[in-house]
Amino acid sequence: MLKRAIAALAMAATTGGCMQYLVQPPRPSLAGTPQTVQANSYVGGKVQQPSGHVTARQCANGEQLARVLVKRNFWQGFVNWITLGMVAPATIEYSCANAGEPPMGGGGS
Amino acid sequence: MAAPQPRFNPKKLWKNFHETYSQVIDGEWDLFMPQQATGLTVADLKETTAQFQKLIGDGKQNGLKVRAVGSSWSLSKAPTTTGWTFNTNRLRGRLKVKPADVDPAYPGTADQKAGLYLFQCGNTVADVNSALERDSEKRALFTSGAANGQTIVGATQCGTHGSALEFGALHDHIVALHLITTADKHYWIERKSRPVMAKVWVDGLGATLKRDDDLFNAAVVAFGSFGIIGAVVIETVPRYLLETHPTQAKLDESLWKAIGALDFSVPPFNGKKPYFFQAVINPSSDDVLIMANYRKDPAPDSYQPNYDLISDPKSIGPGFDALSTLSVILGAFKNVIPAFSKLAAKQLFDTKTKTGTPGEIYGYKPPLLFVASGSIAVALPDARRTLETLIKLYKDIGPVPVVLGCRYVRKSPALLAFNRFPIGLMISIDGVDGPTSRAFFAAAADRVEAAGISFTQHWGKANAYTPQRVAKAYGGNLQKWLDARRALIPAAADRALFDNDYIRERGLTG
Repeated sequence: MLKRAIAALAMAATTGGCMQYLVQPPRPSLAGTPQTVQANSYVGGKVQQPSGHVTARQCANGEQLARVLVKRNFWQGFVNWITLGMVAPATIEYSCANAGEPPMGGGGS
Repeated sequence: MAAPQPRFNPKKLWKNFHETYSQVIDGEWDLFMPQQATGLTVADLKETTAQFQKLIGDGKQNGLKVRAVGSSWSLSKAPTTTGWTFNTNRLRGRLKVKPADVDPAYPGTADQKAGLYLFQCGNTVADVNSALERDSEKRALFTSGAANGQTIVGATQCGTHGSALEFGALHDHIVALHLITTADKHYWIERKSRPVMAKVWVDGLGATLKRDDDLFNAAVVAFGSFGIIGAVVIETVPRYLLETHPTQAKLDESLWKAIGALDFSVPPFNGKKPYFFQAVINPSSDDVLIMANYRKDPAPDSYQPNYDLISDPKSIGPGFDALSTLSVILGAFKNVIPAFSKLAAKQLFDTKTKTGTPGEIYGYKPPLLFVASGSIAVALPDARRTLETLIKLYKDIGPVPVVLGCRYVRKSPALLAFNRFPIGLMISIDGVDGPTSRAFFAAAADRVEAAGISFTQHWGKANAYTPQRVAKAYGGNLQKWLDARRALIPAAADRALFDNDYIRERGLTG
């Protein structure tokens, strides 16, 4: 019983303040592997690091974004809580998208 | 136009798609496709081959192991390397094989000859479906796994299968493959009994033509350990539609006839044999979810597949990594597992009848991390005994957050194919990743073995293969496979480039 109570408390404590949102198109076509960027938002988003926006540097040669995941773990949530939202760190994971559907070749050289 | 040069990313931690494990690497290389105005050409394939060969050579010079990685979909560590990974999922060129490029000795039918396609390694199963099923082609795969995110090469190298009752697995579509082994050698491999591409076409690619049944049957399911598979040629069938008939039932003597012996005289089939059949048994309640899909031929000419996965803004369901938390909850509160299993089944099992192409029916799924899956295959006559053994194991060790999916596949000629029984029952043990599920996977193999049942395990999922189990499961095929690897990569140092712990722990190196 004690073990379960501890597990329940640990669960509540470690998931409190956590969140994540995944955005992807109806037919995701991932190019390369997911890339991770650590970001910080200060004073309710008035100041950000990286400044202005997060650049998806790995998406080269006309590639767009296939997937963006914004997430906050327990420690990031904790920092947000004790600073009353003045500092809001998050982890951003993005994947590049293959640009369009390649045409069907016919075997020429 | 020339392809962009491969780009290095000094990433040190690689994770599989479902994030069930991670691997320390020495960096990754992204490879790019040449700009294609009119589609893939032999010149494009040659250029990509040269890029792969340079990277293999550089890796060797730097004392690093190398591996191609597609969608990182595998739940086993089959694709891992400690050195460089080569990301292939941008290499999505495809071409329809022209009749003039087909060897005159190709033994296929006129329809098969008209339905030969070459796909570069980075095409996902979704890409292949969409390329084949479009109006201009009106073709289809004859079988498909439940997911579509794997690359065609990644899926086939690990033996991914579906449950089309009269066919083999995904790798059984492949009739030729382009294998890049070293900095100065690449092969075009076909079966001697089924030559496909004309020699002049292979010469144009600059590859060494190998027509040998054993070499082909070894390389087609090889977990990436034979080198980089640049492209494959597949056989296809005319486009068709599937009509799904999902139902739920209790596991009684009548249903055992279908699940244990593919006898469809019983309800709810009533004598009508499905094209695709799957039964998912919840061992905690004996509830069975039945998916019987019937083939409708031909698909209307005007049919337009729609593959879009749209999430209803008002819907409430599991989040992207819901299972990571569920795993902890279910580990601590085992008595809620049966209720959870029922709820999950209700949530995930679509009870509406649908009609669509294979690419639509086995299409995009909501992404979910921390899924657990391992599969055991047995011959159909052993089906019921094996399932009863696993249900008993479930009851012996207490509730486990897994269900038993039953799918059926014909035998493959591939030497290390998971589908090696004339008609095999593939029992997919699916659920939430965590210590209890992993313990169940390991114990499942032990129990089936102790019952004296011959079995194989899915290479791309959690498995409990040991060198002894591999040798027992595959007999003489194992030595043929090892010989083929040595024949295609004669130097031990070159073979070692593609070695990893996964194949070493299963007695597949050397």
